[in-house]
Amino acid sequence: MLKGAEIVLRCVRAEGVDLVFGYPGGAIMPLYDALEGSGVRHVLTRHEQGAVFAAEGYARVTGKVGVAMATSGPGATNLVTGIADAKMDSVPLVCITGQVRTAMIGTDAFQETDVFGVTLSLTKWSRLVRTIDEIPEVIAEGFYWARSGRPGPVLIDIPTDILKAKKEFSGPVKFTPHARPAEAKADGAFSDTIVALLQRASKPVALVGAGAKLSGAVPELRGLLDDLNVPTFATVHGLGAVPPQSPYYLGMVGMHGTRAANTALHETDLLLVFGARLDDRVTGDPTRFAPHAKIVHFEIDPAQLDRVRACELPVIGNLADTIPAFHAELRDASLPDWSGWRAIACGPERAELDPRGLAQPTIRFLDELFSRLPQDSVVIADVGQHQMWAAQRHRSSSPRGFITSGGLGAMGFALPAAVGVQLAKPETCVLCVSGDGGFQMNIQELATVHRLGLPIKMVIVDNKYLGMVRQWQQLFYARNYAETDLSDNPDFVEIAKAYKIHGWRLNEAAMLEYPVSAETGDLIENFLRSPEPELLVFDCAPEANVYPMVPAGAALSEMVFEDE
Amino acid sequence: MQVFHIRYRNAQGTLMRILNAVSRRGLDLTSVHAEYAGHDHAVTLLLDVTHKQIGQLYREWHAIVDVIEVRSSAILREQAEAAWAAHPPASEIVAPQSARAALA
Repeated sequence: MLKGAEIVLRCVRAEGVDLVFGYPGGAIMPLYDALEGSGVRHVLTRHEQGAVFAAEGYARVTGKVGVAMATSGPGATNLVTGIADAKMDSVPLVCITGQVRTAMIGTDAFQETDVFGVTLSLTKWSRLVRTIDEIPEVIAEGFYWARSGRPGPVLIDIPTDILKAKKEFSGPVKFTPHARPAEAKADGAFSDTIVALLQRASKPVALVGAGAKLSGAVPELRGLLDDLNVPTFATVHGLGAVPPQSPYYLGMVGMHGTRAANTALHETDLLLVFGARLDDRVTGDPTRFAPHAKIVHFEIDPAQLDRVRACELPVIGNLADTIPAFHAELRDASLPDWSGWRAIACGPERAELDPRGLAQPTIRFLDELFSRLPQDSVVIADVGQHQMWAAQRHRSSSPRGFITSGGLGAMGFALPAAVGVQLAKPETCVLCVSGDGGFQMNIQELATVHRLGLPIKMVIVDNKYLGMVRQWQQLFYARNYAETDLSDNPDFVEIAKAYKIHGWRLNEAAMLEYPVSAETGDLIENFLRSPEPELLVFDCAPEANVYPMVPAGAALSEMVFEDE
Repeated sequence: MQVFHIRYRNAQGTLMRILNAVSRRGLDLTSVHAEYAGHDHAVTLLLDVTHKQIGQLYREWHAIVDVIEVRSSAILREQAEAAWAAHPPASEIVAPQSARAALA
């Protein structure tokens, strides 16, 4: 006879899980009681939001399912932001929550929340377990849906009496999905159509999103793009899918994308989209997005098609299948000479500013950091100005080398996510870049970093403002800096010290000389090479802005630059 | 007016997920009728939606893992009015009975 809690852990273990993140509490205590000897390692964060973001970081860097645990009521509701984040960014995540006793459900019992109801619109699938007998099927089905198709978050809510109950356990089960009527799927003819579209196109481009990585189709995509040789750019989650040194690669597209990428996207007459949702941060004004283009959209999730802008040819299916099929057709096709278009789109007139010239000190600082990172490093960015600067400047060929909360834009993501990444990749250099606002949203996870001795390199770009909001206030609200002033920030180096973490400080003046002084270079080197957790505060100008910028509601062609 | 017929497995929350796709768009649910239908369940929804919303809803419903099939068709205004004029509020039927029972 096994307790329900033991059955849960055996089933979770059978799904390949050996690491979970969580925070204990009343209703989930039986599960914590069963952890020892289960083969599942539990990492205690200092807040449930830290647990779910850590699980996300683990999932994003490995591609495996991340698991977070919390108790009922406030424990469960503290998971909600992470669940929403996983939904937006297609992260495979299973959240297991304790619930009040079955008999107490619906009575507004102590720490009772209808977390099943709260998360219905945020989860891909969820269950409130009603009997101990259901546990194996529910766990198997939950993990199946979390990782299948377009990955996403799953919630499994288990009343405490079911965790305590006992039954004979005959082993984990395997879930087989119910048969559905034939799903819309790309047939072979789509390749002919795309080739025909390419043959008529004079300015084709390719846009790469996270789907290329999630499908495991990065090698196939790179091979296709090398043969196509058309101007190519990526969404923030597509960064790393295309080697940045590729001669046709133009960098990030969208609200803070490069001049070259946004301009080419505005001018194109044929847009090939590989696994991107085309959300508003990528399209700008949707009515003026790629106004001259026909769109071919490779996508696994039909629900993502035509959300913002209708496409002419949807190619529904796993990119690992559809890209090779298209590439095979392309090999025998005769395509036009696009060298003139390529020369314009990728030419020097549209290149970014030289970082040694007009670039502001924070960008130089990030360039210094990134240029010294080992090749397989992982950068985790929080949300705000530093996130966009980091996305613009980080040049990595590693598909999972840049991690951020893109769709939801959840401040406080980076530090706990870095915990998950470092635990998944103990030998890898993990660099966590936050702003002073976001860092304080989950600053308590410094305790987790310290306890585990994780050698995470934490950078705070401290401009003493909620910088991105302040930038918008400056540009669109007549400099009315309402409630964005953080000039009374604590001393982050002292805070790190209180958590027994070594802190460093660098200010803008150090970045005004090029190349940087030997002293500054040594500081950055020592920071990055330390085997311990380290925190580096970079004092940034309060009114530094992120450029280029496409104002909300504007077309991509209406980018604003620093000197305008 | 558009009528949608959705066949689904009656797993926990599936109907709520279907309805959530409507409510998150701020659409009024003119009429909802859900019932057992053979091996599965079916819900019929009457909605005032734009052409773009029809496509979005169709795909969003189809992405729900326990939804089996989504169909839709246009409906005449008179049919729509008849459909939602026919159901008195439940409170009018139930409340007097409950009150009598409570007072007995």
